[in-house]
Order: sequence, then structure tokens, then C-alpha cells
Amino acid sequence: MRGIFFGRRRRERELDEELRSHLDMETERNRQAGMSEAEARAAAHARFGSVAEVKDEVRDSWGARFLDELRADVRVGLRGLWRDRGFSLVVMLTLALGIGANTAIFSVVNGILLRPLPYTEGDRLVRVQQQLPRASVTNRGFSPLEIVDLRDQSKTLEGVAEYHTMWFHLLGHGEPLRVQTGVVSANFFDVLGVRPILGRNFVPGEDRDGAQPVLILSYAFWKNAFHGDPSVIGQTFEMNDKPHVVIGVLPPIPIYPDENDLFMPTSACPFRSAQTTVTNRNARISTVFSRLAPAATVAAARAELAGLAERMRAAHPADYTNQASMTFNAVPIREEITQGWRVRLLLLLGVAACMLLIVCANVANLTLARGMRREHEMAVRAALGAGRRRLLRQLLTEGMILAVLGAGLGLAMAAWSHDLLVDFMARRSARVSEIRIDTAVLLFTLGLAILTGLVFAIVPALPGRRDVASAMKEDGNRTGAGLGRRRLRSALVVLQVAFSFTLLVGAGLALRSLSRLEKVDPGFTTENVLTMTVDLDWARYRGQQNQEARIAAYDRLLERVREAPGISSAAIATTIPLNQTANPFSGQFEIEARSAADREARPRADIHLASPAFFATIGLPLSAGRAFTDGDTLESTQVAIINRSLATHQFAGEEPVGRRISFDQGQTWNTIVGVVADARVRGLDQPPADEIYLPVRQTSPLSASLLVRTSLEPHAAAGQIRDLIYSVDPRQPVAQVKTLDEVRALSLANPRSTTALLALIAVLAVIVTAAGLGGVLAVTVSQRAREIAVRMALGARRGDVVALVLRQGMTLVLLGLALGAAGAFGLGKVMASFLFEVAPTDPLTFAGVAIVLVGVATLACLLPARRAASIDPMNALRAGA
Amino acid sequence: MRDRKAELLQGTLDLLILKTLSSGPNHGWGLAQRIEVTSGEVFLVNQGSLYPALHRLEREGLIRAEWGVSDNNRRARFYEITRAGRRQLEEETATWALVVGAIARVLEAV
Repeated sequence: MRGIFFGRRRRERELDEELRSHLDMETERNRQAGMSEAEARAAAHARFGSVAEVKDEVRDSWGARFLDELRADVRVGLRGLWRDRGFSLVVMLTLALGIGANTAIFSVVNGILLRPLPYTEGDRLVRVQQQLPRASVTNRGFSPLEIVDLRDQSKTLEGVAEYHTMWFHLLGHGEPLRVQTGVVSANFFDVLGVRPILGRNFVPGEDRDGAQPVLILSYAFWKNAFHGDPSVIGQTFEMNDKPHVVIGVLPPIPIYPDENDLFMPTSACPFRSAQTTVTNRNARISTVFSRLAPAATVAAARAELAGLAERMRAAHPADYTNQASMTFNAVPIREEITQGWRVRLLLLLGVAACMLLIVCANVANLTLARGMRREHEMAVRAALGAGRRRLLRQLLTEGMILAVLGAGLGLAMAAWSHDLLVDFMARRSARVSEIRIDTAVLLFTLGLAILTGLVFAIVPALPGRRDVASAMKEDGNRTGAGLGRRRLRSALVVLQVAFSFTLLVGAGLALRSLSRLEKVDPGFTTENVLTMTVDLDWARYRGQQNQEARIAAYDRLLERVREAPGISSAAIATTIPLNQTANPFSGQFEIEARSAADREARPRADIHLASPAFFATIGLPLSAGRAFTDGDTLESTQVAIINRSLATHQFAGEEPVGRRISFDQGQTWNTIVGVVADARVRGLDQPPADEIYLPVRQTSPLSASLLVRTSLEPHAAAGQIRDLIYSVDPRQPVAQVKTLDEVRALSLANPRSTTALLALIAVLAVIVTAAGLGGVLAVTVSQRAREIAVRMALGARRGDVVALVLRQGMTLVLLGLALGAAGAFGLGKVMASFLFEVAPTDPLTFAGVAIVLVGVATLACLLPARRAASIDPMNALRAGA
Repeated sequence: MRDRKAELLQGTLDLLILKTLSSGPNHGWGLAQRIEVTSGEVFLVNQGSLYPALHRLEREGLIRAEWGVSDNNRRARFYEITRAGRRQLEEETATWALVVGAIARVLEAV
């Protein structure tokens, strides 16, 4: 549009100049003939005639006609579409669904696959992996010593960066914070090609022993914890008992490979810089990233790395015993990030494209039916002098109007479903934050709109390439080709019904499964329980020597928290039930006085560490023996509590209480003092596992959670509890505060987003199918207008005519249902592993879905049926004569 | 008299422009001069009428225009006949001759 106006302005200017130059020349000649300046100019104007008129005429010869006609087309189109409001609405909605689905999926494809990585020349970045093919280990870490070798010996890699992540405590900024920390070599961000937006990067040497510890903050952490305050640069915070200076803030890019709050050089990490780590070739704690040297390819790097690994093995045989297959590999970061997504996403996009094609076919049918009804209008317009081209253009304009409106609506729908999609992808790709509707997505949508507008507007007008009106009149009426087309149309509708049925059954099964999951009794009470992470500081509490300090710290904490009003019980445990972000520790054990002939076949159980009040706090009943007490200490007998399930599996018919189990092949023994009921700790959909609980006072974990049962509103109690903990130890962070109800809800986030997405797609399919069915019937009704008129003239009543159309529609629907049922059985088989307590052939779901679909289909049939019934026999017969 | 000249011009202006341009590029004012002079001042009408015709022919691709400098150093829009324009000129000339010949024969016969 801008182009047209800009071009226009330029042409106006040029015309002015051209005419002025003409008048000047004429004036000049007149002057040379002896006139005065004023006379010469007046004579020139007289010779020329009216400048304004000439300009008008010239303008007429420009594209003005085109614009005027376009405006007229749009006006007529809008008026026509408004007159057929029902038609327009259905077409617009159908298109919106088709285009919206494509836009949404394209925005995911664009964000994850197409957009360049947020690194300089991101395609040259690789992740180096250490592999043991014979043991099926594809990606174990590197030790600091190995990284030194890589750095020294590789020529195809330019800059070898080291990375691992840990949780630390950050002190000195209001409340103590628990921060996820990327521990990196000083060249890490240089290798990735990321520049801080504030402050500076790590510089060479900052990762050397004894260097001043420094920090670079992620953008999100800077915004959340420091409200984007630029004066954070240069501030000092305490981590691991040492002052750390903030030197930079990263740009707002996805933080890969983990969502770290901040980054520190390797020398600042007490774990990484410990002598035991630095000098141990087997301390494989780090990941290696690198940039390919300018001339190197991935293949060259792989070849070099394989040789390098072999030399390393040969140089340090003692460190690689039984690791003859150890080798190195390089994988482009882009490949690693997009992993299995390429194929799946492109497949999804293909499905969406198919859906758009179906949408186009449906809309084309609707347009065709409307075109037949408009035969008269078109004929009149043709008679009034509108050429075939002009009529085609009229159709095209109407198509474009609908397509553009539909695309706008589709875009809104894509934006609306954005959160759902991001939710769905969140745990599946690191690039999820890059999914958004940007220029590329907008252009894609515009392209789709134009394409669909062209397809559905022009296709119905195509046959025969004669004038539009007669093409429409004759389309598919009596000719053989028409019959073929009609069958094709019907087949398409049958397929759509089948597809919708399959999808609806899928969504229905997922929904039933979800509602079952939501009603599951986990075996404990989730109400009124507040949970929070209270990891102890690594630097202060690590190691055997701090065992008693850890126990004392938890004791002090519990003591104070219990004093708070409304708290009925409080416990420390390493496990928050139903928390999906941390898998419980699982280990093997043996039972005293049982033949332990086969060490490999020793029983295995989930191991949880818990303080005495744990069972009371979450309301997990004891079925035999006793709970832990404050008397279970480092000095007293080592004890354990098992769950019902373990008791049945290992002590069938025996009394487990009093028996002893060992985790270290008989060196030490724990006496079973109690049996607790079974509970779904790992997840609502997981049957109770075999479980062993050990007392916190005998195991002294470094990281743990606080669980509190309160009679107050849990989140109101949270602030109070936090303050109490700070009063015990102002350096103790309290993080991830959630009620157990929230933990439970979060554990269902995945099935919930999958179900929502499936349901959304199914509903879209049903709406599109309804439009398709209505369109086909509408075409048929228009084609059979004369036949229907004859029937009515011969005495058929309106009800008979409605039944006639309904019968035709329902035949298609029933065929579709039969086909769809077969598809649904297939889908059910695929879904069976995701379904919870719902049979993939659940008759209730199948029947319910069938009823819904038949209901919608009836509605879709009713509209054309009513139109058929309102045919005026006299008119129809006369028009056909 | 003036009206009759104008009528004549309406039908034949395109032909005259193409013919005049076929001997070389020219600007609007120059074209007007040439047509007046070569036609013995029969086509003596408002010079302005030339411009709608020029712009229409340009749009139809029979002539093309380009800014240049005239003999007396003035910026002017120069028109040049295109390949399509020459073809059109040939056809129209032939048709013209045919029509003129036919009319002449009719007039003589009556």
C-alpha cells in the first residue's frame, strides 16, 4: 500500500516538473520572438490550455482506475459477505482454525529449529562428549585433567570451555538466596560468543587458583533479585565463605545448558578447585563446549578427538582400566538442543498443512454452494458489462477479505494458545523461551492467508475456463466429471468425520485418565502441608567431620519452627512426596539371615531420610512397630522403617519388625522398627514402590526439605516460618516454598497440558469437519434444487425434504464413524501406556464421543436442509426451464 | 474549425506521436513543435492535450520516458519509441492507409 502511495507522490512531482518545463520552453520561445516576460508566459499558458485539466486527464491514465476498482470490489465484497453473514462467519472461523493451527505450530518450529542460536556463529559450536560405547555410555563428563589435555592437544577445536552446575548459597543481599550456579572456565562466554550487556566478561586467568572470585549474573536473576539495578556491578556478595564481586550481567538469552542464576569461574567453586578434584583424572564432573577452528569441520574434529582419546588412554593406563572403548565425540550444539525435535516438529507442521488443505477444500465447497446461489447476481453483473476477469476479481477479492479476516482471527488464536504450547514444550526443549510470534511468523501467516484466499476463491471458478456464471451453473451437475468430483467431496467428508472421531476419542481418553489421576488417593494428606528447601551451606557443613553440626542445625531449626502458632508438626526429610523435579535415591540392600548368594539380585528400594515427625506431618499411618524418635541418634542402634509394599515383597508371612537390613554388605546393620502404609510418593500414576526410611539423626543429609503441617493458611504461615529460620541462622536460605497441594498439582502439569492440547486439536477438527459436511450438503442442495422442486410440486412436504438432506448427511457421518472407530482403536493402543486406569477401548468414551459428533453433524446438516425445504418450487422450475 | 481539428486529433494523436518519435527521442514541447510544423499547423490545438496521450502510451509500453537535458540546458522528460511502439506504428500506418484509401474511393465513387 505504501508503495502505491509513494510511487504516486513521486509521479505527481514529476508531472508538475514536466509540465513546468514545457511552459518554460514555450515562454522562452515567445520571449525570443520579442514578447515581454509577462506576455510570453501568458501566451504559453494560452497555448497549453488548462494545466489542471491536463493533470486530471493524465492522472486518469495512471493506475487510478486500478485503485478505484479495488475499492469498489472491496466495498461490493464486504456488502455481499455481510448479506451472507452465516456463510462468512463459518468460512472465517474455519479459516481461522486452519491458519491459527499452522501459525501456532510454525511459531514453535521457528523458535526451536529455525531461529539462529543466540551465539555468535552458533552453528560452529560443539559439545564434546566422552563415551564408553561398550558400556552404552554416550555422554559422561570430563575431569579437569582431561580438559587440560584436550585444550593442549586439539587443533580442530578453538577454545575449549568447561562447565558444570551446582546449587550454592549467596549471602549479603537481603535474605540468603539459594542460587543455581554455572561453574565455568574463564573462556566460556568467549567460546559461546556471548557478551555481557552490563559490565565485563571473565578474563583469562580469572579461573586460575587464588584468583579473586567473580560472578556474572543471568538476565532473569538480575531482574528478579536485583530489579535490574545496574549498580549491582562491583558489589560484593558472600558465597562459600568467600567474597565474590559481580562483574557482569548476561543478555536476555536462554541460559543453556541449565537455567543458572549466575556463573562463577572454576577457581571459585570449592568442589571443583579442591585438590581431590583437580588431581583426579576420574573426577568427571564437567561438560565441555568448544568452537570449531576456522577451517575445521565436525568430521575433522571427530577424527582428531578419536585419536586424542586413544593417546590419552595409552598415556594413563591406570585411569582407564577396563575402558578400552573410551572415546571422544563432538556434537553440534544445535543438534543437541533440537535433538529429536526436528522430525517430530516437521511432522506436526505437515499435519497442520494437511489440515489447512482440508480447510481449503471445505471452504471451497461452501464458496461453490454460495456461488451457485449467486448465479443470478453474477449473470446480472455480467449483463451490466462486468467482464469475466472482473467477475473473477470480485470472487478473488471476497476470498481475500475472508482469508485476511480469518488469518487475523487465526493469529489471535495462535497467540492465545501460545502459553499452552510453551507449557507443553517446556520440559522438552531448552529453546522454549524463543517460541514467540515474530516477523517470520507474521510473514508466514500472511503468506498462508494469501495462498488460502487464492485457492478457495479460484478453485470453484476454474472448471472449463468459460465465463464464471456458466461454469458455476454446470459444475458437477450431470457430467461424469461432476459425479467424480461429488464422490471425492463425499470421501473427504467421510475421512474428516473419521479423523475427528479418532481425535475426539483420544482427547476423551486423556481427559478421563486425567480426572482419574486427580482423584487418586496418594495414601497421605496433602492439605495444609507446607514444604520448602532448606539445604545446608556446602562450604560450612560438608564432610564426615561436620556430621554432628548438620544434625544440630536441623534440630535447632525444627525446635524454633515448632514454636510458631498454628504449627501442629514439622519434619525434615530428603523427599517431598509427588515432587517430580527430584527422583528419590534408590539403593540395594540385604536382609540378615537370608542367603545372599547372588549379590546382583539383592532387593532394591527407594531410600528416604526423614526426621521423627515426618509420618505425622504428611499423615502417613504406621501399620506396625513405631516411628522414629529423638532417641534414634548416632550413638544408638541404627534403625529403619519400611513400607507395607516392601514388607509384603520381602517378608511375606514373617514379622519384619526386629529384623535387620544392611546397605554395605553386612558391615553395618539397621534394625527395622516399624512399617508404614503404602503411599504414591513418586507420582500419582506410579504404584507405591518398595521404600525404606532412615532417620535424619543417623544419616545427616546435607540437603533436605522442611515439611510443616499448619492450621493457618499455608502461605500466610510461610513468611513466619521463614523469619523463624532466619532467626536461627540468618545465612540459611529458604527456597521453593510450596504447599503439598501445589506439589501435587504440579505433578500433573504434564498430563494436563498434553490433554488440553489434544482436546483443543480435537475440537478444532470437529468444527472444521462440521463446516466441511455443511459445505458438501449445501452444494448438493443447490445442485438438486430442481429435483427437490419437482418433489415438492408432486406433494413432498418440507419435513420430507429436510429428511432427504439429513439422510444424505448422516450416511456420510455414519461411514465416518465406522472408519473413525477403527482409527480410535489404533490410537488407543498407542496411548495405552499414558492412560491411567482407563481402558483404551473405554466404551463410555467411545459412546459419548459418537453422540457428541452425531449431534454436531446434525446441526451442520440442518442448515442446508432448511434451505432445501425453503426452495420455492415455482421459481426453481422456472429458472431451470 | 477548431472543433474539427480537435476531432481529427483525437483519433490520430497516438499515431502522430509514434510517427514523430520514430525519428528520434524528444520531449513534450519539442513533440508539439514538430507536429505543428510538419502538419502545416493543421493540428494546432492546446499543447496540453499531448500529455494524457503521452502518459497513456507510456503505460501501454509503446513509448518510454527518461529525464534528460534539452538543447537549451533545461531539464525535460524525453520520450522514446519502444520496439512494441514501432510495431504498433507499422500496423496503424497500414490500417490508416487502408482506411484512407477506402474512404477516398468511396468519396470518389459518390
